[in-house]
Amino acid sequence: MTKYLLTRLRQSLITLFLVSMVVFAGIRALPGDPALALAGEERSPEALAAIRESYGLNDNIVVQYARFIGHALTGDLGTSSRTGLPVSDAIAQALPVTLELAALSLLLAVVVGIGAGVVAAVRRGRPEEWLANAIALIGLSIPTFWLGIVLVLGLAIAVPVFAASGYVPFGTDPVDNLRRMVLPAIVLGSGLAAVVMRQTRAAMLDSLSADYVRTARAKGLSRREVIGGHALRNSLVTVVTVLGLQLGHLISGAVVTEQIFVLPGFGKLTIDAVFTRDYATLQAVVLCTSAAYILINLLVDVIYSVIDPRIRLGGAR
Amino acid sequence: MRRKTVAMVAVALVSLTSGCASLQSSATEVGGVRKTDERSVRDGGTITVALNSDPDKLDPTLAQTLVGRTVFAGMCEKLYDIDENGTLVPQLAAALPTTSADGLTVTVQVRPGLTFSDGTALDAEAVATSLLRHRDLPGSARGTELAPARTIEATGPHTVRIVLDHPYVPLTGVLADRSGMVMSPTALKKYGKNFTNHPSCVGPFRFVERVGGDRIVLEKDPHYYDAAKVHLDRVIYKPIPDGNVRLANLRSGDLQIGDQMAPVDVQSALTEPKLQLFNSPSLGYQGIGINVGNVKGLGEKPGKIDTPLGRDVRVREAFELAIDRDLINKVVFQGMYEPACGPISPQSAIAPGVPPQDCPERDVAKAKKLLEEAGVKTPVKIELKTSTTPEQGRVGQVLQAMVKEAGFELSLRPTEYATMLAETDAGKYDVFTSGWSGRLDPDGNVSNFLKTAGAMNAYGLGDPEIDRLIAEGRSVADPAERAGIYDELTRKVQDAHALIYLYRQKNYVVANKNVAGIRVYGDGLVRVTTAGYTR
Repeated sequence: MTKYLLTRLRQSLITLFLVSMVVFAGIRALPGDPALALAGEERSPEALAAIRESYGLNDNIVVQYARFIGHALTGDLGTSSRTGLPVSDAIAQALPVTLELAALSLLLAVVVGIGAGVVAAVRRGRPEEWLANAIALIGLSIPTFWLGIVLVLGLAIAVPVFAASGYVPFGTDPVDNLRRMVLPAIVLGSGLAAVVMRQTRAAMLDSLSADYVRTARAKGLSRREVIGGHALRNSLVTVVTVLGLQLGHLISGAVVTEQIFVLPGFGKLTIDAVFTRDYATLQAVVLCTSAAYILINLLVDVIYSVIDPRIRLGGAR
Repeated sequence: MRRKTVAMVAVALVSLTSGCASLQSSATEVGGVRKTDERSVRDGGTITVALNSDPDKLDPTLAQTLVGRTVFAGMCEKLYDIDENGTLVPQLAAALPTTSADGLTVTVQVRPGLTFSDGTALDAEAVATSLLRHRDLPGSARGTELAPARTIEATGPHTVRIVLDHPYVPLTGVLADRSGMVMSPTALKKYGKNFTNHPSCVGPFRFVERVGGDRIVLEKDPHYYDAAKVHLDRVIYKPIPDGNVRLANLRSGDLQIGDQMAPVDVQSALTEPKLQLFNSPSLGYQGIGINVGNVKGLGEKPGKIDTPLGRDVRVREAFELAIDRDLINKVVFQGMYEPACGPISPQSAIAPGVPPQDCPERDVAKAKKLLEEAGVKTPVKIELKTSTTPEQGRVGQVLQAMVKEAGFELSLRPTEYATMLAETDAGKYDVFTSGWSGRLDPDGNVSNFLKTAGAMNAYGLGDPEIDRLIAEGRSVADPAERAGIYDELTRKVQDAHALIYLYRQKNYVVANKNVAGIRVYGDGLVRVTTAGYTR
């Protein structure tokens, strides 16, 4: 296990390094001069020259990359060209917002998705299955931005229990935090819940018709033990894979949700950075998201072996 | 008949693109200009102001954005300001500046007894330090405005003397904007370029914190000289780019003030009894720029552009004659903006030139005739770069329908802001949507755009007569004479048809009805100094 982990860590670092190069070059390939984007309406040649000089934009791309990596290794992600604030501060402020949003969405997706999936599989051919399938289809088809606006109009304005926008840290005021996070979590989690529901249902149907379930039933185990202890547990391997893949999407896919609900998370930071060609912020955000993806993949692999001991990781005989 | 056809086509197009938004609403429902609400307010409370984007640096020397100016209005006062009528008035200065007979020496008297938010006293030295920083700091966005100032020095505890290279009448107007903001010398010394994270000026509110992309928090400044007039404890500025989201938050009560609301959102807001509307005409303009000589990029000598529009002024005139400004205003902006055909707003301190009612009428027959005279093959194919906002897209579609009747085939290319700036500055375009938020002094609305090789002359316009008039307008002190100069300049610019002015936006601010004391002036800023919750 340790050997496997070390190998995967090494691979992850190499991946991250390669990603950093691609990200760095990709951002610089965007049309539009950051100095111009920064100077905006009042651009004078002198101001543009000074901006280029002060952010090292006159150096060639290799020098710029070396400087970026050198600083990044010491924990310095640079300064936002737009706000003049340290990028690490911006990330530290945005990360908890996106992580909380992703966690709440994930929770919603797991509870609703797995619950509905199990019900749909167990009650196959009954109205419950039909209902669960219909809801999942709606969940998959509704565009995020539309659902967001409908929820704001329908719930936040009509029922002031929910807030339409903004973020208050959980530690500052847990109630206000949840007031503001429930709607975005529903918006972001609904699509994932639908995916989880369909995966759970399919995996459960497979499991329920498998020999070991038949054996369990024959042994006289209760219905609850058969479904929960045997069928569901085996079905979860597939579900965890899907969740792992989707969690990465949650982090990067929070872009639209964060825009609608004005949550100062990674998505909003990314959009703002793209439009202002804020290279330092953009490359840091993309790198952090990539690192999150890599980490999640690693965790998913580890969780496999915990759920299903038959899966052995590299290094085992 | 033709006008009717265009109107129908345009309305149909806009209905399609705007999801059949109400087009019946008219400006009469919005009412006249409303700049303030004088109901009495109680002390205390926090209001949240939604801005349409995140401000850039909170450093008056480096800041570039209009939304940033709104935040500064809460915390950084200037030597001069404008009042409700757009007239220049002293703010941190004790009186309007005095200028020597030759126009070369300007003396500014600073108000005594002022204190910065960090407790430092404001004196003439502090003013001189700030002005020199605005002029000289590398990357300063104020450098061009203050370039004519050869020396800036404190000649007494409250007297600052500015010696100019040449007479420069726009100086007072310039000092009524960010160039006139005075920063605490203690904070400048302590933080240097990092002042942006610790701004300290004289103002009703002082800086507390900024969370990038989320909020800027200010609190009442006990050092402020007029602190008795300030009622609120805190003001929070929140960037919310989407108009729908801003409106939803105003409705839910999470926000108290929404800045720069689009006409379509204003119309929705008016259906909400708990919201109220403020508006003031703006100093800026919106139009379309035509590439007539930008071959090598900004700041370079104009060259020859080998397109029908670039080659022949008659084709450009035909293009302009095919446009109906009133109709654009009605169809795209529900009649809530003002048609315009010159660079200087009637709101400007010196407002000469052409009032909206005198804009050239649409004349398709004449346009066709001009194209025939020019001997161009019709349809003349043109690409219009527009920004990616829905409103600009609709302006483009209406233009497309209008100019088609005269013999132009206009294709639209929505282009993201930073890319558009890069391409238009480099001269890689036929026509683009060009706008300016506006300055109080007319010079701020013409010189950089229309002067040969001007810093923002992306059109490649190079006309010695226009250059001469710009120079004259800067140096003649007599307002009546100046008005005459800008009147002539406006006509010359109209004849060149390189920048076709189309309309002027209005500053629409929607606020909750339980908030009063807000001020919305022609410079487009929301002032919250005297704002508060009604009793």
